[in-house]
Amino acid sequence: MSALGQRLRLGAPAALVPLGAVAVAAAVGAGVMLAAGVNPLLGYEAMFRGALSVSNIDFAVAGFTAILAMSLAFAIPARMGEYNLGGDGQLVAGGIAAAAVALYVPGPAALLLPLCVVAGMLAGGTLASVSAPLSTRAGVPVIISTLLLSTPAVALTSYLVRFPMAQEGSPVPQTPRLPDAAHLPAFPGMSYTNAGLVLVLAVLLVTVYVDARTPVGYEVRVAGANRGFAAYGGLSVPRLTLGTLAAAGAVAGLAGAVIVMSQPFRFIDDALTAPGYTFAGVAAALLAGGRPALLPVTAALFTILSVGSAGMERDVDVPRQLGQVLQAVVILVLALRVLATRWIAARARRAAGGRA
Amino acid sequence: MTGSTAVGSAAGGAPPAAELRGITKRFGPVLAVDGVDLALERGTVHAVVGENGAGKSTLMSVLYGLHRPDAGQVLRDGREVRLGSPLDAIAAGLGMVHQHFRLFGSLTVAENVVYRAEPARFGVLDRRAAQERVAELSARIGLDVDPTARVDTLPLGVRQRVEILKALHRRAEVLILDEPTAVLTPGEVDSLFVVVRRMAEQGTTVALVTHKVREVLEVTDRVTVLRDGVVTARLTTAQTTAGEIVEAMIGRGLVPAVNPRGAVRGDPVLEVDGLRMPAAPGASRVQDVSLRVSAGEVVGIAGVSGNGQRELVEAVVGLRRPESGGVRLHGRDLAGLGVRERRRLGIAYVPEDRQGMGTAASLSVADNLALGHHRTPPIGRRGRLSPRALRAQAAELVRRLGVKTAGVAVPVSSLSGGNAQKVVLARELHHEAPLLVVEQPTQGVDVGAGEEIHRLLLDVRSRGGAVLLVSYEITELRALADRVLVMLDGAVTAELDAAEATEEVLGAAMVQAGRAGSPAGSASGGGER
Amino acid sequence: MDVLNLAFVAAVLTSAAPVLYAALGGALCGRAGVFNIALEGQLLWGAFTAVAVSWWSGNPWLGVLAAVAATAVFSLVLAVGAVAFRADPIIVAVGMNLLALGLTGFVMREALGATGTFAPAGLPGLPDLDVLDGVPVLGPVLGRATVLVPLALVLAVVLSLWLARTSIGLRLRGVGEHPEAATSLGVPVTRYQMATVVVAGALCGLGGAQLSLGTVTAFTENMTAGRGWVAVAAVMLAVSRPLWVLGACLLFGAAEAWGFRLQGIGLPQQLTDAAPYLVTLVVLVLSRIRVRRRLRAADPVAAESAAHPETALHPEEPR
Repeated sequence: MSALGQRLRLGAPAALVPLGAVAVAAAVGAGVMLAAGVNPLLGYEAMFRGALSVSNIDFAVAGFTAILAMSLAFAIPARMGEYNLGGDGQLVAGGIAAAAVALYVPGPAALLLPLCVVAGMLAGGTLASVSAPLSTRAGVPVIISTLLLSTPAVALTSYLVRFPMAQEGSPVPQTPRLPDAAHLPAFPGMSYTNAGLVLVLAVLLVTVYVDARTPVGYEVRVAGANRGFAAYGGLSVPRLTLGTLAAAGAVAGLAGAVIVMSQPFRFIDDALTAPGYTFAGVAAALLAGGRPALLPVTAALFTILSVGSAGMERDVDVPRQLGQVLQAVVILVLALRVLATRWIAARARRAAGGRA
Repeated sequence: MTGSTAVGSAAGGAPPAAELRGITKRFGPVLAVDGVDLALERGTVHAVVGENGAGKSTLMSVLYGLHRPDAGQVLRDGREVRLGSPLDAIAAGLGMVHQHFRLFGSLTVAENVVYRAEPARFGVLDRRAAQERVAELSARIGLDVDPTARVDTLPLGVRQRVEILKALHRRAEVLILDEPTAVLTPGEVDSLFVVVRRMAEQGTTVALVTHKVREVLEVTDRVTVLRDGVVTARLTTAQTTAGEIVEAMIGRGLVPAVNPRGAVRGDPVLEVDGLRMPAAPGASRVQDVSLRVSAGEVVGIAGVSGNGQRELVEAVVGLRRPESGGVRLHGRDLAGLGVRERRRLGIAYVPEDRQGMGTAASLSVADNLALGHHRTPPIGRRGRLSPRALRAQAAELVRRLGVKTAGVAVPVSSLSGGNAQKVVLARELHHEAPLLVVEQPTQGVDVGAGEEIHRLLLDVRSRGGAVLLVSYEITELRALADRVLVMLDGAVTAELDAAEATEEVLGAAMVQAGRAGSPAGSASGGGER
Repeated sequence: MDVLNLAFVAAVLTSAAPVLYAALGGALCGRAGVFNIALEGQLLWGAFTAVAVSWWSGNPWLGVLAAVAATAVFSLVLAVGAVAFRADPIIVAVGMNLLALGLTGFVMREALGATGTFAPAGLPGLPDLDVLDGVPVLGPVLGRATVLVPLALVLAVVLSLWLARTSIGLRLRGVGEHPEAATSLGVPVTRYQMATVVVAGALCGLGGAQLSLGTVTAFTENMTAGRGWVAVAAVMLAVSRPLWVLGACLLFGAAEAWGFRLQGIGLPQQLTDAAPYLVTLVVLVLSRIRVRRRLRAADPVAAESAAHPETALHPEEPR
C-alpha cells in the first residue's frame, strides 16, 4: 500500500495548516470558556472525558461512525468540486427507510439486516441523486439544491414518525421499537458500538481505493479540476456528478440506517439531526483536505468535540454549543489558510524578483 | 544586423506626442525589450510590428503603465512622465484598446463609455448627457454606434469602437491599438482603418501594434519593427515594401519549418458533408461546409476568428451536434457519437482554449498527460489505474517532446505557455490518431517553441496522419498547409492549393469575400463558392 | 371574502419580509461579484441580537439597531476572508453559518439562561402599524405588521433604482461584471465589494430583527430554518435584480402563508413546512433550464461549468 502511505505522508507545510487550524480553535475555545468563567483545562478535560472515558467511549464510537459517514458524504462530491450540504435530509431519508423496512417487512436477521441497510442507502442515494440532473441539466448548483431538498425531507420524516409510523400512546414522536431481527449486532460488551462501524470503515476503504487506484477516481479528480477539460477529454460530467452524489447520499443514508438500527432501535424525531453530524462531517472533510485516508483522524477529532461537549455541559456547565463553535472556527481558519500560502508565495516571488 | 532605411526623426519643431527612450524590461531571466527608442509624432499612425514574442506588447505595456521598465524613460509632449499604473497613463492622455476588450457586457454603450467619469447630478447618473457625449464623440470620428445598446448584443467590431470612444471620452491624445484586427471581419477592418485615419487627421496619435504587414502598408505613416526585443528597422510607410518589413521582422537567420508539399496523398480520413448549424447568441453559424482531409495531408482553415471555425471543429470532435450534414472518419459515419467514442475511433484534438479545455492548470503534468489514456494499458487495466505507469508515461512524454518542467508532479500552471502547449501536443500525439484537429497551435507561444510545434505537426503529416489546422495566422497556414480553405460567416468561400496560397492571395481572398458581403460582416456574407 | 384575501396578502408580506431583506443583501453582493451564501447565519445572528438587546434594554428599536450593527460586524468575516484575502467564499460561508448557529445557542444558554426557545413574558417586540387601522386596503394588509415589512418592499424598489440610476450603482455593477475592467478605470474593486458585503450584513440584521421581534416575539435555536438558503435561491432566481428578488420572495411568502392556511384546515404542519422550499426549488429549476439551454448553444464546453454557484449569480448573457 505504498500509495496509501504516500497519501498519508504530508509535507511539513501541508501538515502545519490543519494542525494550526485545530490549535487556533482550541485557543478560541479556551478564550470562550474563560469568558464563561470556566477553567479551560477543566473544560477540555471534561470534554475528553465526555467522549473517551470508559463509560462514554461506547456512545462516542457510535457518534464517530455517524460523523465519519457524514464526512464521506461531503468529501466524495467535494472531490469533483460539488458541495453536498443536504446531509441531514439524506441521513433521515436513510433512517426512515431502514425503519420502515424493519417495521413492515417480516423476516429473519440474515435477510432483514442487509435489506434495512440497502433500503437506507437507496433512500439517501436517491434523494442526493436528484441534485445531479438539477445541476447538470438545469444548472442549479448542488450546494443550493441539496440544502433546499434537505429541509422538506426532514419535515416529511417528521410527519411520518408523528402520524403514519408513530408509536401509539408515546409522548415523544417516534416509531415503535424495531424487531430484534433488525438490530445491528453489537461488539461484545458494548451496546452502541456495532457492525455499523465496520460497514462505514469498509465504505471508507472502498472510497480511498477508488480515489487513488481506479480510472473513475482519476476522472472525478479531473472533473473537479476543470469541467471544460473533462468534457474535452470525453468524460461525462453528468454521469460523474450523478455517481458521486448517489454515493454520497448512500453513505449518509447508511449512517441514518445504522443509527435507527442501534440503541434504542427506533426512529425518534430530531434524534438524527440534533447532534449535528452533518456539519461535524463537513468540518472533518474540510480538515482532511483532499486526502480521504485522513478522514478517520479528523472525524475522531470532531467526535470528541461534539460528543465530548455534552459531557462538558454536564460536568462544568459550559453549553454544548461550544462544540459547534469550535467546528466553525476550524472551518474558518482552514478557509483562510490561503493567507498563509499567499504570504509564502509572495515572499518567494519577492526573493526571485530581487535576484533578477 | 539591422536592415534600416532609417528615417530622420522629425527633428526640430514640436516634440513627439509620446516617446520612449532606452526602454529595457526583463521578466525573470528573459530580456523582453532591450534599450528600445520609439517616437510617436503627433497626428501620425505609427505601426509597431514584429512576430509573436518580439517585445511589441511589452513595449506598449510600458507606455500604458502596465509594466514599469527596468531602465529608460517615457515622455509625453517632451516631458518625462512616471506611469505607475494605467490610471497614470489615462491621466497623462494615453489610451489603449486591448486585444481582449475590457467592456461590461450587460451595460449599455453609454454606460461603458462614461464609466468612472460619469456626468452626474447629486450622484444620480445623467443618462441623457452620457448619451449625448457618446453621440458627439462618434460623430467626430465618423462612427455609428447606438448609445443605448447593450454591449453584449453588439458584434466585436462595434465593441471595439466602444473601446475607442472610452479612450476619447477620457481625452486620450495618444491611442494604442493592440492587434486590433485579430477579431474583425475584413469589412470591419476597412471601417476601423477609416476611423484611424480620421482620428489622426484630427490630431490624435495612434500606435498600431500588429504583425500583419498588409495592415501596416494600408493605414500607417511610420513603421518601427521589433525583433527579439530590439528595433531592427525604422521605416516610412510610403517609402518601403512588404518585403523589407518582413525581412526586418523575421531576419535572415531563422529557417522556419515549411511543409515540403508534393508528397503522396493517401485515402480520405475525414470527410465533412453539408454541415450546417444555426447561429446562436455566442455561437456563429455554419453554412453547408464540406471538406475532406486525406492521410498525409494538412488542410488549413483560414479566416478571421468567429466565422464558424470553432463550431466546425466542435462538430468534428463531437462536442457540438450539427443541425444537418455528416462527419465521417475513414468512411464511418460519426453521427450520434460523443467525444469519447470519436477519440477512441482515432481523433486527437488540440483546442484553441488551452486554459479552459486543453489542460487542467491545477492538476499535475502527469495527470494532464494521462487524460484519454487512463483507461487503456499501461495506465488503466481492468478497472484499475496504476499511478506508477501514469508517472512513467508522463516522464517519457516530457522527455520525448522536451517539455521544460520541474518534474511530472508539478501543476501545469507552473509551466510557460509554450511548455503547456507541448503538454497538450504530447498527450494528443501519443495516440498516433489518424486524424489530428489543431486550433491555433502557436498562440501565446514564444517563437522558438512555435517552431518546434510546427515541426511536430509536420511530423504527423509525414507519418501519414491527417491534420485539420485552424489558424488566424496566414504565415502559419502558409508554412504548414497543403491546401487552405477560407471561412467567412460560417461558409467556405475559397479553396486554394498551397502553391496559390501566398500571403497576398489569401489576404485578398478574405478581403474580397468580405466585400461581397455586408460591410459590418454581421449578416449573409460570402455568397459564391 | 375581500377581507379574507387582504388578510392573505398580509400573511404573504409578513412571511416574505425576513427572506426579502436577506435576499436583497444577497442580490447586492451578486451584483458586486461576491458570492454570499452566509445569509442563513447572518439572518440568525440578527434575529438573536435583536431579541437579546431588546430584552436587556427594554426597547425593541435598540434591538433592531443592535441587530443591524452586530450583523454588519459579523459580515466582516466574509468581507475580509472572501473578498480581501480571496479565500473560498463557500467555505467561509459554511463556517459562518455554523458559527452563528453555535454561538447564538451558546450565548442564549450562557447569558439568557434559556435552552431551545427564549420567549419570556415582557420581551418587548416591535409595535404593529395600528395607525393604519381603518384605512382601506392598507389597514388590513399592513395594520398587523411592523414598519419593517413595508420598509422591505420600499427598499427593493430603492435598491433597484439606485443600481440603475446612480454613479455608484453603475460602478458597482461594473465591479461585479468585470473587475479587471473596473480596476483599469480606477475603481477600487476590493473596497466596493467589502462595503457591499457589510451593507448586505446590515440588511440581514433587519431581516433577522423582523423575524424575531416582528413575525414572532421570541428567539428559537436555528429559528431561520433555511430561510437564508431560500434567500440564496431567490437571488439566483432573480439573477441579482432587486425587483425580481421581491417577486421571488413574495412567491416564497405565498407558499408559506398558503401552508398556514392548509394547517388551518387540518393538514399537518410538517407537510406544509416543506412546501415553500419545494416551490422555491421548482421555480428555480424552471428558470435555470432556459439559461442553461442558451449557454449550451453558445459554448457546450463552458456550459459544463455553468452550474458552478458563482457563475449562477451574474445577470449577464453568455459571451
